[in-house]
Amino acid sequence: MNSTRRIFLQTSALAATGLVIGIELRRPASSDKASVFRPNAYISITHDNIVRLWLTRSEMGQGVRTTLPMMLLEELEADWSQVQFEQAMPGGQFNGIRLRTSGSGSTVGTYDALRKAGATAREMLIAAAAEKWQVGASTCRARAATVTHLSTGRHFTYGELASAAARQKVPDNPPLKNPKDFRIIGTRVKRTDGLGIVTGHATYGLDVRVPGMLFAVMERCPSLGGKLVSFDATKALAVPGVRQVVPIKSGIATGVAVVADHTWAAMKGREALHVEWDLGPNQHFDSEAFLKEMEAATSRDGYFVRNDGDAIKALGTAAKTLEATYEFPFQAHAPVETMNCVADVRHDSCEIWAPTQCPEVAQEETAKTLGLPLDSVKVHITLLGGGFGRRLIADYVSEAVEVSRAAGKPVQMVWTRPDDMRCGFFHPCDIQHISGGLDASGRPIAWRQKSVGSDLSVVNFPSEEDKKSPRIYSDNELPWGSFDNPYNFAHLKANFVPLNSPVPTGPWRAVFYPPPVFARESFLDEMAHAVGQDPLEFRLRLLQPGDVLKIGSQEIDRSRLIRVLQVAAEKSGWQRPLAHTNDRLLGRGIACNVYAADCYIAQVAEVSIGRKSHDIRVHRIVCAADCGLVINPGGLEGQAESGITWGLSATLHGRIDFKNGAAVQSSFTDFEVIRMDEAPAIETYIVASDHSPGGFGETAVPPVAPAVANAIFAATGKRIRRLPITSDKLKVPASEFPVHTRRWLIPQ
Amino acid sequence: MPTFVLAINGHQHRIDTAPDMPLLWALRDLLGLTGTKYGCGMGVCGACTIHEDGDPVRSCQIPVANTAGKKYITIEGLSANGTHPCQKAWLEEDVSQCGYCQAGMIMEAVALIRRKPNPSDEDIDADLADHICRCGTYQRIRRAIQRAAHEGSKA
Repeated sequence: MNSTRRIFLQTSALAATGLVIGIELRRPASSDKASVFRPNAYISITHDNIVRLWLTRSEMGQGVRTTLPMMLLEELEADWSQVQFEQAMPGGQFNGIRLRTSGSGSTVGTYDALRKAGATAREMLIAAAAEKWQVGASTCRARAATVTHLSTGRHFTYGELASAAARQKVPDNPPLKNPKDFRIIGTRVKRTDGLGIVTGHATYGLDVRVPGMLFAVMERCPSLGGKLVSFDATKALAVPGVRQVVPIKSGIATGVAVVADHTWAAMKGREALHVEWDLGPNQHFDSEAFLKEMEAATSRDGYFVRNDGDAIKALGTAAKTLEATYEFPFQAHAPVETMNCVADVRHDSCEIWAPTQCPEVAQEETAKTLGLPLDSVKVHITLLGGGFGRRLIADYVSEAVEVSRAAGKPVQMVWTRPDDMRCGFFHPCDIQHISGGLDASGRPIAWRQKSVGSDLSVVNFPSEEDKKSPRIYSDNELPWGSFDNPYNFAHLKANFVPLNSPVPTGPWRAVFYPPPVFARESFLDEMAHAVGQDPLEFRLRLLQPGDVLKIGSQEIDRSRLIRVLQVAAEKSGWQRPLAHTNDRLLGRGIACNVYAADCYIAQVAEVSIGRKSHDIRVHRIVCAADCGLVINPGGLEGQAESGITWGLSATLHGRIDFKNGAAVQSSFTDFEVIRMDEAPAIETYIVASDHSPGGFGETAVPPVAPAVANAIFAATGKRIRRLPITSDKLKVPASEFPVHTRRWLIPQ
Repeated sequence: MPTFVLAINGHQHRIDTAPDMPLLWALRDLLGLTGTKYGCGMGVCGACTIHEDGDPVRSCQIPVANTAGKKYITIEGLSANGTHPCQKAWLEEDVSQCGYCQAGMIMEAVALIRRKPNPSDEDIDADLADHICRCGTYQRIRRAIQRAAHEGSKA
C-alpha cells in the first residue's frame, strides 16, 4: 500500500482515556495470514497482540467511535490500551452489515450484534487456551486481552492465542455477560478521538489529500429544477490555476464545475464563468405563498393515520372546543463542514473519500454512474464535520465522481457556504392544525391533528404507486409525533395531507418529529390554560393510567413518560414560580415526547423577555430522559446538550425562505444559529431503567420549541405558533394577540 | 505569479500564488496545514481562526499579500503534541462532538486567556460569540476555558 495515501487519525497516550487509537480509513491489503484471528467482521487479533475493531457507523459527533468500541470491548474482555480502530467500508467483510448512520440508530442497531461479536471472539480465545492447557474452558477466565487458567495462574495473551483461536468452532450463541457485571458499558468514557481533533490532525472530508488531486467548485442553477443551457468558460480558464470546466448533471442541482489546482482558483474561475440557464418551471416559487397554500390545505382530509373513537363527533358535543394552527418553516442543516468529496475515477475502479452517513448508497450510485461492478468502488468514510441527516444523500459524491471522470485525476468537490445553504435539500416546511375538545369539568376528551407537509421527496417516499393506498402513511407510522401521540384521549384522529413543493426535502435532525411535536405540545399547553390547569398536571392526567399504548409496531410505556415529566419538573423547580423583574418577564414551559417508542424525554425551559425590548433569552433548559440502558452517560449528556442547542437554533432563528425559485438565506449572517452568548445552561438528568438501549442522537430536538414557546406564554401571555420565535412577534400587545388563530368553535 | 514568504508556526514557507488568495486556502491547499477549517469564507463562523502576531484573526479574510512581516500560529503550531493547557482542558471536559469547529474555538480561547488570564462568563461570551458550533458544545467550551484559565493561574 502506498503509505502517502493512507489517512491516519492518531492520538497518543495523552488522550483522556489513555487510549491509543489509529483509525485507518483504508482497509489494509490482504493480511489474512494464519496468525490472524478474525472471528467475524468486527474484530481481528494478530499474533503481535494487536486487537483491531472495525467501526460500522460514521462518526459525526454522536460518539460512535467511543460507544461502539465500548460494546465490543465489554464482551471481548480487552482494554482500551490494546486496541486499534478501523473504519468499516462497504463491501467485502461488511457485505450485509449496515453502515448507514441514521435515525438515532447507531446504538440500537449495533448493541446486540457487537456484544455477540465480542462474546464470540472471547469464547473462541478461551477455548483455544483451554485446548492448549488441556483443561475445561470453565476453569479459564478472559480479562484484559489475556486468558488465565484460574487455578494455576498460567496465561496467554490474545495475540499468543490468535492462531489457535482461529481454528476453534464459531459458537452460535456465545454467553453474554449479565449487565450487572458490565465494567465498561455504563461508565463515563471520554471521546477516544479527542486528541486528533484538538491538535488539528483529525481528517474530515475536506482534509483529504491524495497525490495529484485537483479541487473543484460548482456553479449550480439559481432556480429549483432549472437546467443548464450553455456556458462560456473562456474567462474562467484564463484564471491562473484553473485546469478545466465541466458540466455536471448529477446531484440535486445541475451546473458547471470549475476544476483547478486549489480551491481558491476554482472559486475565482467560477466567478468568471458565463452560464445561460433555463430557469425552469419553479422560477416563481415563493415559500410565503406556499405556506398560505398549506394552510388552506388544512381543510382537506388527506390520509388518515390514526383514528381512535370518534373525534369528530366528540368535538361536536364537547363543552369547550379550541383550535389552532402552527407553522414550521423550511430549515437548512448547515453543518460547519460544507458538503465535499474526493473521487478518484480510474478506468476500471473508483475510490471515494467522503464524509457520508450513507456509504452504501455512495458506492451503489458511483458504480451505477460509472458502469462498474460494486466491488470496484471503494468508499472511505472520513470524520464528518456534522451530519444531521444532510449526509444521508450522496448527491455531492456523484458530483465529485462526474468531475473526476472528466478530469482523469482525483478531484475534491468543495461546496461553498452559500452552496451548502441554498443548493442541498431541506427540512420541509409544515403546517399543523389541531382541534381539541374538553368536557364540562375541563377534562380533555377529543383531539384532532391534521398535518400538512411534504413527503421527504429526496428519498423518494412514497412512490406514486404507494399513494394509491389510503393506509400508506399510517402503515409507515407517519407523521412521527402525531401518529404516536402518547396521550390518552378517548377520541383521537390524526390525518396527513401531503402537499409537495419543488424544494428538495429530506431528513433533518429528528426527521418528522419537530413540527408535529411543536404543535402537539404547544396545543396541550393551550388546552391546559383554557381550563385553568397546570400544564404539567394536565399532561400527567392525560397519561393515566400509565399503561402501555400499543400503536402500530410501537409500544409506548406511558409510565416512563410520566416519570421523566416528574423528574424534569422537580429538578427545574416547576412548583416554584419565577418572579418577574423590573425589566424582564420570566416564565417556564414544559414539553415532552417519545422518540420511536424507546426514548422518553421531558424538558423545562426558563425564559425571560425584555418588557420594552422584547428580546428573548433562554436561560436554562432542564432535560430528563429515559432511554433504557445507557452505554456512555457522558455521551448521552453531550447529545442532550447538542440536540437542545440544535432545537433552540430552529426555535429562535432558523428559517429558509424561497423567492423566485431560490433559497434567500446564504450564510450564517442570515441563517443564524445559537452561539456562545445565547447558549442556555443545560442540565440533563438520566432516569435509570433496565430497558434495552434506545437511540439519543435526535431525541432532545423536538421538545425544545414547544417548551420555549410555552415558557414565553407563561411569561407574557403571548402564544407564538409560528417559528422562529423572534422578538418582533412579541411586540404585539397581549390583548390583541391570538384572536385570529384561536377561537371558541362552540361558545357555551 | 508573485512569491510570498509566510511565517507559519515558526517556519518560513515560500509560495507562488495570486496575491488575493486568502491565507486559509494557502494553509490548507498549498501548505497542507488542514487543521485550520473552512466554514463560511466571510469571517462569520470562526472555524478558520489562527493567530497573527498573537491576536486571533480569521484566516479566510487575510489575503496572502497582507501577511508580510507577520508571524502566524495555527492549531498545528499551538503545541508539539496537544499539551497546551487549552488543548488539555478540551480533552478533560470532553468538549468535542463532530469537532470541526474546535480548532477555531481553541485558538480564540488561547488568545482570550492570554489577554485576560481569568476571563468572566461575559468575556467568554464576547469573544467566543464570533464562532459557531452546530453540535452545541458551548457549555463544555465554557467549562474548558475556565479550567484552562484556572490551570494557568496555578502555574
